[in-house]
Amino acid sequence: MSDRMPAEAAVETEAPWRERLFPNGEWILLLVLVAECGLFSVTGNNFFTVANAMEVTRLGVEVGLLALAMTPIIITGGIDLSVGSMMGLAAVVLGSLWRDASMPMAAAVLVTLLIGLLGGALNALMIARLSFPPLIVTLGTYSLFRGAAEGLTRGIENYSGFSQEFLFLGQGYVGGAVPTQLFGLIAGVAFFAWWLHRSAHGRSLYAIGHSAEGARYAGIPVARRVGLLYVVSGALSGLAAVVYVAHLGQAKADAGTGFELMAITAVVLGGASIFGGRGTVMGSVLGLSAIVILQNGLRLSGAPAELAGILTGTLLVVTILLDRLSKGSGGQTRTDAEVGEGEVKNSQVVALSAVILAAALLVILGNYWSVRSLRQELRDTVGRQSLGGGGKPAEHKPVVAMMPKAKGDPYFISCRKGAEEAAREAGVELLWDGPTDLDPAKQNEVVEAWITRGVDVISVSVENEVAISTVLRKARQRGIRVVTWDADAQSDARDFFINQATPQGIGYTLVDEAARILGNKGEFAIITASLSAANQNEWIKHIKTRLAEKYPGLKLVAIQPSEGDRDRAFAETQTVLKVYPGVKLIMAIAAPAVPGAAEAVEQSGRKDVKVTGLSLPNMCKPYVHKGVVESIVLWNTLDLGYLTVYASRALATGDLSRGARKLRAGRLGEIEIQGDQVMLGAPFVFSRKNIDQFDF
Amino acid sequence: MLKLGRYKRELSAALAYAVLLALVGLVAPSFFTTGNLRDLALNNAPLLLIATGMTLVILVGQIDISVGSQFAVVSVAAGVLAKGGLPVPLLLPSVLLLGAGLGAVNGFLVGRLGLPSIIVTLAMLVAWRDALRWTTEGAWVQDLPSGFQWLGLGQTAGQWSIVAVALGVLGVLGWALRNLSAGRAVYAVGSDREAARLAGIEPVPVVFCVFALMGALTGLAALLNAVRFSAIPSNTGLGLELKAVAAVVVGGTAIRGGRGTLGGTLVGAALLGTVGPALTFAGINPFWEKAVQGAIILAALGSDKLLGELESHVGPNAR
Amino acid sequence: MLEASHIAKAYAGVQALRDASFELQAGEVHALVGENGAGKSTLVKIITGAVEADSGEVRLGGRVITHNSPRVARALGVAAIYQQPALFPDLTVAENIAIGLEQSVAWGVVDWPARRRRAAELLAQVGARIDPDRDAGDLSMPQQQLVEIARALGAVARVMILDEPTASLSEEDTQNLFGVIKRLRAQGVGMIYISHRLEELSVIADRVTVLRDGCTIDTRAMAAVSRKDLIELMVGRELSAVFPKKEVDAGEVVLELRRLGSRAAGVRDVSLEVRAGEIVGLAGLVGSGRTELAETVFGLAPADEGEVLLRGRPVRFASPARAIESGIAYVPEDRRRHGVVLEMAVSANVTLASLQRLSRFGALDLRRETEMTVDYVRRLGIKTPATFTPVATLSGGNQQKVALSRWLATKPSVLILDEPTQGVDVGAKAEIHALMVELAGQGAAILMISSEMPEILGMSDRIAVMRGGTIVGVLSRADATQPRILALALGDDHGQAGAGSKVGA
Repeated sequence: MSDRMPAEAAVETEAPWRERLFPNGEWILLLVLVAECGLFSVTGNNFFTVANAMEVTRLGVEVGLLALAMTPIIITGGIDLSVGSMMGLAAVVLGSLWRDASMPMAAAVLVTLLIGLLGGALNALMIARLSFPPLIVTLGTYSLFRGAAEGLTRGIENYSGFSQEFLFLGQGYVGGAVPTQLFGLIAGVAFFAWWLHRSAHGRSLYAIGHSAEGARYAGIPVARRVGLLYVVSGALSGLAAVVYVAHLGQAKADAGTGFELMAITAVVLGGASIFGGRGTVMGSVLGLSAIVILQNGLRLSGAPAELAGILTGTLLVVTILLDRLSKGSGGQTRTDAEVGEGEVKNSQVVALSAVILAAALLVILGNYWSVRSLRQELRDTVGRQSLGGGGKPAEHKPVVAMMPKAKGDPYFISCRKGAEEAAREAGVELLWDGPTDLDPAKQNEVVEAWITRGVDVISVSVENEVAISTVLRKARQRGIRVVTWDADAQSDARDFFINQATPQGIGYTLVDEAARILGNKGEFAIITASLSAANQNEWIKHIKTRLAEKYPGLKLVAIQPSEGDRDRAFAETQTVLKVYPGVKLIMAIAAPAVPGAAEAVEQSGRKDVKVTGLSLPNMCKPYVHKGVVESIVLWNTLDLGYLTVYASRALATGDLSRGARKLRAGRLGEIEIQGDQVMLGAPFVFSRKNIDQFDF
Repeated sequence: MLKLGRYKRELSAALAYAVLLALVGLVAPSFFTTGNLRDLALNNAPLLLIATGMTLVILVGQIDISVGSQFAVVSVAAGVLAKGGLPVPLLLPSVLLLGAGLGAVNGFLVGRLGLPSIIVTLAMLVAWRDALRWTTEGAWVQDLPSGFQWLGLGQTAGQWSIVAVALGVLGVLGWALRNLSAGRAVYAVGSDREAARLAGIEPVPVVFCVFALMGALTGLAALLNAVRFSAIPSNTGLGLELKAVAAVVVGGTAIRGGRGTLGGTLVGAALLGTVGPALTFAGINPFWEKAVQGAIILAALGSDKLLGELESHVGPNAR
Repeated sequence: MLEASHIAKAYAGVQALRDASFELQAGEVHALVGENGAGKSTLVKIITGAVEADSGEVRLGGRVITHNSPRVARALGVAAIYQQPALFPDLTVAENIAIGLEQSVAWGVVDWPARRRRAAELLAQVGARIDPDRDAGDLSMPQQQLVEIARALGAVARVMILDEPTASLSEEDTQNLFGVIKRLRAQGVGMIYISHRLEELSVIADRVTVLRDGCTIDTRAMAAVSRKDLIELMVGRELSAVFPKKEVDAGEVVLELRRLGSRAAGVRDVSLEVRAGEIVGLAGLVGSGRTELAETVFGLAPADEGEVLLRGRPVRFASPARAIESGIAYVPEDRRRHGVVLEMAVSANVTLASLQRLSRFGALDLRRETEMTVDYVRRLGIKTPATFTPVATLSGGNQQKVALSRWLATKPSVLILDEPTQGVDVGAKAEIHALMVELAGQGAAILMISSEMPEILGMSDRIAVMRGGTIVGVLSRADATQPRILALALGDDHGQAGAGSKVGA
């Protein structure tokens, strides 16, 4: 054509297969997955079984749906922080439509999806039409949606009692082995893979991610395409909510908390660039798998759950580091300008990070592995001794798996102390695990892992009755004994309930104390945990009943949340004292809230105001001695944990069974049993007189 | 001479705040007492310090969502150090150093190794939080030495000192951003990293220092918060990072970097910090707090856009 | 004064410089020419310290510079003004100028009034009427360039590098600049002047060095070399004609604009016809509204008065997608931001505007994509190692060819080209021109926006001149002369401008 053509150089048309299959270096993730599986099949009980694999996939479906929707959004350079909150809103809409509006389930599900779509449309409008930055818009809707969910349900409502057919969607097994929702995820993965990697529409998304302006000039309707992604994300959040509700059997405003971070982590771990233009469906799936398998494997290996967080964080950093380096001078397209002086020598950093990661893993796992092998040795030795001694078979130490509502809550930490004391005394192997903060979904996950592991007894302080009962029943079917403590599940889901005090008892005692302090008349305010905390709401119900019945002179003027945060309780109390100057008593019904409220009262200089509530002695001692806190209501949490372990052990060895009237529990002596409830005693009032006798 | 047009975003935020205050004044005038305002300032002083640091981070074109975990770590560390016998005057430099150290880790990964800040700080958020939980097992740090609370200054002096420090730090950094070369370098790097390099401003040290400073400010915030009480919980600072980012953004700083002021952040922090108590004073159900905060963020965006439209139709460059 | 000897530099497997040498004396304007990809930008970057050479050395004032960096180079008195202005959009003009000049001591306090004063001085020297307190991001590209020049002036550089400085300047500003350059020369500043505008060089340069394929070919006195010689040296062989003459058998009217206007774009009352087989050149000063007109026709800006008719039928384009469907293609002015997507592969770029056409039931036919890409690579002579190479690694000329391929793939009946050969080397330029002629011959209607007079005069069948957002005159090929065009563009009736002047870019 032109006279300038040199001899024709052949043009390559096929990229090397590794580039095509793993454009973002996802092979690193594959290696990580293999490493994880290898590691955990050695250290974890029953990790490498089909049943466990299926459970793992069940757990991953809800976040998986979110991660799928998040992938194209991140590819176009956007982000959606609101997906978890949307799940909460959709969940409560579903529950309310079904229960309060008596809609048939199918219709309710459709409307729920519609709500998700509309929420996504709100994001789409602001991001695509009005060109607001996605990070900020979805930060706003993250608050807005969750807030709407809490506002609509007033934090309290918890819808449950769904039909069996519906629950099968989330809890059932197709063909006896495959979790139902997995099919949905597989379909989703297939569709998204086709959409992003094979379709013209998907190609345009990558162009938008690299350069939205450039895409516009090429005739791509950028605003429309981007907007669609957020609408899809909203709809999928709605779908994820439906699966979640079916899975747990309950619909509450806190559904999906934290899921957005997990979804984003999965996508970024999978090689997508947060700046847009890169990302694959396979990468996101691999990323999600890496996280879910890590959590599951750690749990089955008996490692503390915090490790999962630390390792996930490390994994994230190392993966992007390695990816960045392998692109360094190779495939990275630095336009004209060379990457400048700041660039670090590739080989050095690869070596460095590999060493760090290896060292971290070694230290952590080696640490407790040695403990484990020590335990194993001990067991064997004991067994051998008894064998040599008289032919008696090796004494199998009962494995009791105990779960609090929230590991981080000081109340449960003190229960643990008592439990460990009992475990030492009675010769029990105690596994202590659970969600760090209130999280019913996590509780289910942990129980599932324990079932896989094959423990002897599971004892749970139940966050949500309905959700946990399904999985507890499953445990019982597999021959595992189940007790509940502190808060009960459905009665057919457990063998016994270790009861320290009934919610009614607690509520009445609190009100009686309040009446005593105020002299049967006056105003008081309640500082609760979170507005949706089930326990606290139970107590409040009984408080109100008691007030109406017995104390007409007492008036409850306000209920403010502290979200389990001492500082927040402090601030809320300050405000209450100012808004309601007539208040003379603050009733703080969450452990960290009492010291917070007390500090606020003290600093305000209001000597006429007192504080009472439900808390742990140690944190309140200084205030009790100063006179700010009159009294606190509780029971001996150490004893509660202690008793639970003894009861569990008795169950395991067959010493305790239905119909028993009494139980011997170590230093507690003989404990009374009423029906299927093991009674610790009545609520205890701690005051200046006796508080120093206790240390928990 | 102040070109008001340059600060339209900050002004619109201030306007919104004024409107909120007016509404509160109408519905619950008891809001405006010295005591309440002082308490409001105190409760939000840590947030303000962190938002100050966050402003710099966002100005330089990055983000740091690990501050909540850093806050918790330093809070606990301060308590442990004090219990372990560290003399009170040494507490301040220790937390600054510790905070700066945590920030420096971020600074190294983001600045030197060039990793995207949202991912790095996301990882740190989770890692630090879980490491803290693991080591403390949820226990609170109690029985602190008597000189710890209020750093031995007594309640009133201590309270005003905290507010003064927070505002003072904001003021000093605000001045520095405007008038020190180092401050201008932050804007330059955030505005156009490559141009900065070509102009002789090395982006890497600037980014590193900004993250370290963020860490130090977080440490300071943690200490100032911890000394208000006599015990230190192990789970403080949850959600602090998002609140700080919201304050910065509502205050008019652009999320892509290079544009924004600390004055705006002050307004943003004040606005978001006032919403909660204002709702209580107005007798509105606390359930709606999250929804209101979300609405404010969206409104901030909307007003910004609206102002931009107005300018193009009415302002000097209008067509 | 400045000497770069036997420099070699490789990036990611591409040998940008093999054996380049360059020598600059004080008080001279030394032109550096070469096709795109010859290594001019790389050489400049090595001198300014933006990158480090693999081998060879750079001497300044007789001393060898071992570890160059932007700071070091600045301190030694080297200043550069690049094609793309590197200003901070969020900072004021005054601050932009100051940052480039001040020795940044981290704890130094800023003296704002002094900054403002200095900026005002420097801007006046360059003849730019810009308020120092405005944000640099609000300025137009030519204004930004003037700010850059002002900054370089302030740097009191001993070596100043000007990389395509007049690319987007008006005639007036160019003359201004030449005046400044002459003044600097008299003061003993050495200047490296890079340009594709060979006609400018004869006015302003003392010597010229030719680079080709990373090697220095020759250095000659400007006066002793002809344009033809230069081109030969750059290209390595003789070129018959730079602008192929063409015969036109204009067909029907394909595109007609009737009193078209767009308030948002600043275009009003534009009436124009483009026939099949015809190339209509659109000339005018910077800011006369040519690109804006193109954007209005293409659907990027909303048209609120008049109409656009395609083959006699009125059409309304709310978006580029509609325009493309109707057979209009627009190759934009800003190649790197709008013309191509730099990080995507050649094949992805080529097919980006034809995705619908290439897909069946939504799925992209990857094999056809590859075939199409290979086809265009061959037809247009795009130099790329593979179809999946990211476009960013190609030279400017090849990037432009990729952009063209994209639009050719849409089989347009109307092709609007906005500065099709800006920043493109001579060889590729000729190829693009030949392509345009070929397309016209096949019946396409071409509207070509250009700021290069020779290109306008050489390629157009008719020339429309714009001023202030509207068309002020249309000249036929026979009637068109540089002075006449300039007169229409400037709006005076004198019609005579100096020889060698050009209508600004």
